[in-house]
Amino acid sequence: MNAVRSSSLARATPPAIQTAPDALHLQDVKRSFIAASGNVVQALSGVTVSVRQGEVLAFIGPSGCGKSSILRILAGLDEHYDGRVDWHSGGRDAGQTRLLSATVFQADSTLPWMTIENNIRLGLSGLKIDRSTADERVRRYLTLVGLSEFRTAYPHELSGGMRQRVAIARALAAEPLLLLMDEPLSALDAQTRIVMQQELLRIWDETRSTVVYVTHDIGEAITLADRIAVLHARPGRIKEIKPVPFPRERDVLDIRRTGAFGEMEADLWQMVAEEVGQKL
Amino acid sequence: MSVIESIGPAPGTTANVAVNQVLRAKRRQAVQQVALGVGFPLLLLAVWESCARTGVIDQRFFPSPSRIVAVAIDVVSSPTEAHLVVRDVLATLGRAVWGYMLGAVLGVIVGAVMGLYRPIRDAIAPTIYATFPTPKLAIFPLLIVIFGLGDASKTALVTFGVFFMVCINTLSGVLYANPIYRDFARAFRLPLHVQWFRVIVPSALPSIMAGLKLGIGQAFILVVSAEFVSANDGIGYYIWNSWQILDISRMFVGLLIVSMLGGAAVVLSNTVERYLIPWAKRS
Repeated sequence: MNAVRSSSLARATPPAIQTAPDALHLQDVKRSFIAASGNVVQALSGVTVSVRQGEVLAFIGPSGCGKSSILRILAGLDEHYDGRVDWHSGGRDAGQTRLLSATVFQADSTLPWMTIENNIRLGLSGLKIDRSTADERVRRYLTLVGLSEFRTAYPHELSGGMRQRVAIARALAAEPLLLLMDEPLSALDAQTRIVMQQELLRIWDETRSTVVYVTHDIGEAITLADRIAVLHARPGRIKEIKPVPFPRERDVLDIRRTGAFGEMEADLWQMVAEEVGQKL
Repeated sequence: MSVIESIGPAPGTTANVAVNQVLRAKRRQAVQQVALGVGFPLLLLAVWESCARTGVIDQRFFPSPSRIVAVAIDVVSSPTEAHLVVRDVLATLGRAVWGYMLGAVLGVIVGAVMGLYRPIRDAIAPTIYATFPTPKLAIFPLLIVIFGLGDASKTALVTFGVFFMVCINTLSGVLYANPIYRDFARAFRLPLHVQWFRVIVPSALPSIMAGLKLGIGQAFILVVSAEFVSANDGIGYYIWNSWQILDISRMFVGLLIVSMLGGAAVVLSNTVERYLIPWAKRS
């Protein structure tokens, strides 16, 4: 488990991201739920982590570890938590011409009653931007995800992978300070997933997004992330944060051929398995 | 090793032959579906016809289908009678359509507001659910007291029945629509009116549409019932009056007209549905 030392890995992380200022900081974030039985169940027991500007931070962990709870808090879908979430470098733009955060959901979240174009435009209706800016963004991000031909199509006319691209374009068009992705590829078949992973790397490279990526797929986390946060099983808290030893411009298939990929995958598997084992 | 049993296309069959087999089987099934769908009702009519002709059933009360068709042709070809029937159809449609539209609009509005705003739901829902099971016709006398013996009381009865169907379906549509749409609306901080009118209410459309379709049935039941009880025109009056003067053939003609109106309404609603919610899965 110590085969890959974090000190040697740190060197591989792009220096620009390593020294980048924090985009946001979670300080001792706790979340409890009231179960059907009336008992209070703690889902998160003090999560402290910083997300650096421009980095892709992946959260992995056994199911029920609170990955989604963290994501819902960051998405603004859950306000009943303890602790602090500090957003940095928002500037005047935040909430005006760009959203604090925008989310790509696991399930298909495109609205079937409007065209692809209008789906993306609707995501901008909370921003204070004029019509031409909105038009321009819709066009730019549709092109970025390769769907400009399907502007006027309806979601039910597209494949699952294409619909998820629409959801990605919709989130990107809001130009969020933080892009949240909740297992966005898990509903796709294995081949489409690999193509989409490469697509995501290309898109992030172009948009320089700061990303929090939740997944249960360890290989996907290594493929996409700059750092991987492993969570303890319930109640969730951070067990370890591992830097990924690949440069930002990477090829999905090439990195899979390297020994470092396999080693890291095995390490992370072991960490997650320990957590699951304790709970079984 | 010898083959004991072989399933699948016969040896030497090419893929193309197999595809053709599947296509032929599909076509056969389609033909069979239509043949049974049309043939079975025709068979029933034939049984009815022969029972009437052989005197197994009393022709005075159950005239044969051929006799009903003959009377229908008589009715349509006689100018005075045709005029009266058209008047009755228009009277019924007037009551049904106005009542339906009023009930549908009120039902969608009240159902949507209840779904979107919790305090209003808590205030109204118990009353709605408590009064829903009441047979709507039971309040017809009360409606006559309020709205008089004319069209208004019948229209109000239709409105009342349609309102419940549409309101309850709209409410459940708004409450139980896929939560992912709400999550999207909140996560993207859409303004409230955009969340309501462009996300939540459209997401309830399939359920609203189901309510609107159920409402059509309600509207016909109630308008015809009301016309049985108190009216001097309308297709319900036509049926009831024909029965009272023991003109059973004309009573059946009235039934035929009501079924045709109902059928036309269903076809219309299906067309509207296809236009409004093209993404919905249909069987």
